[in-house]
Amino acid sequence: MGAVSATDGRSGRRDRPAAPSGDVAADRAAIEGYIARAALGERAAFTALYDATSGKLHAVCIRVLGAGRDAEDAMQDAYVKVWRNAGRYRATGHSPMTWLITIARNTAIDRLRARRGDADVADYDAALAAPGATPEQSAVAASEAGRLVACLDELPADRRAAITGAYLDGRSYAWLAAEAGVPLNTMRTWLRRGLIALRACMAR
Amino acid sequence: MTDELDPIPEDERDDVLAAEYALGLLEDAERDAARRRAGAEPDFAARVLAWEARLAPLGNLAPVPPPAAARAALHARLFPDAAPKPFWRRAGPWQVLAGAALALAVAVLLLVSFDRNGGGGPLYPAEIASEAGDFRVIAVVDKTRDEVVLTRTAGAAPPGRVLQVWAHGPDEPAQSVGLWPAGETVRLPLPPEIAAVRGTLTLGVSEEPPGGSPTGSPSGRVFGTVDIPGVGPSS
Repeated sequence: MGAVSATDGRSGRRDRPAAPSGDVAADRAAIEGYIARAALGERAAFTALYDATSGKLHAVCIRVLGAGRDAEDAMQDAYVKVWRNAGRYRATGHSPMTWLITIARNTAIDRLRARRGDADVADYDAALAAPGATPEQSAVAASEAGRLVACLDELPADRRAAITGAYLDGRSYAWLAAEAGVPLNTMRTWLRRGLIALRACMAR
Repeated sequence: MTDELDPIPEDERDDVLAAEYALGLLEDAERDAARRRAGAEPDFAARVLAWEARLAPLGNLAPVPPPAAARAALHARLFPDAAPKPFWRRAGPWQVLAGAALALAVAVLLLVSFDRNGGGGPLYPAEIASEAGDFRVIAVVDKTRDEVVLTRTAGAAPPGRVLQVWAHGPDEPAQSVGLWPAGETVRLPLPPEIAAVRGTLTLGVSEEPPGGSPTGSPSGRVFGTVDIPGVGPSS
């Protein structure tokens, strides 16, 4: 994977997606190959996949859980899911890094909520089991990194903070509302409007 | 201060719900309902996936290499023994579910293969089943003829797609055994590298475009794999 800009934002600071690496297409083809071969039970391919991507997945887990044993364990859990579900990767239509990051993020958020004693959270398996995504969707993903940043910048600061807080901090509506000092349904309305605006901006 | 939830336009409801589900904002009954829809409705599932793709750049951060101990621990967890062992766990609960139909299918296939190979060499039956249980294949490797005979017992390639059979030996790269364009049963000769495998032979089935995968590795969904231990030479 290419070198990327680092930003660790605890709440309040902006989370900027890393810049794409210099050879995205080659990286992507290699990682897709590893996933395909891992789906056939090739351990060597899985090891190569781990070596190529574990820094990224570890970074996601650290961002959600903080550096330490929990982040390492969450990353391991994510790779166990990757190994067991590699055959379903293609059905998602995701780019390989989108697929891997989504699994790592959801796994880390699960662990975070378990730590907090919150209720269980969304199960990534349901989405993975879902059929029907088109290959075009994955092509979109690569170009969306830069666009997401630009479109988040167009949102009012409170809505932007709510979306990143939900994605990277696993914040619930109740938590986000308390943090912003607004009623729960106000937060839910903000966030929904923010999401609709974000989608519209990214579709431009 | 009043706290009213602004209504969402009808045509935005599914997409907003998909976004909330992808973000993990839903709780309890709302979450469970969204999860069921994601598993059952292709349109809703596609919306969830589209949101995952839109939001994933937020998780694309500068790499932080994990300690070597994490790598070793993961390996120990997934591959507890140094010597290859069947990945029965990956095959899911098929052992539990497989009943008389499976036994019968194996028996018939064995008879067919046995008949053809004259009762001489070793036969290795196995089942390839998807984790979701929607796709099942009985495979019999016939070492006398160096062939594999596969029969579908559940599922099929999606419309306009074909099945492709893959195999590899322990710590060897997977290669295509052949295409399975149509029909319930196919008989494929094993490529020389696969015929030469000693020990654990891994078989897998994927769905591919007509003509097979263009990449040399599976390019579509891999339904499942099975490890057949102790495969030996024909006698």
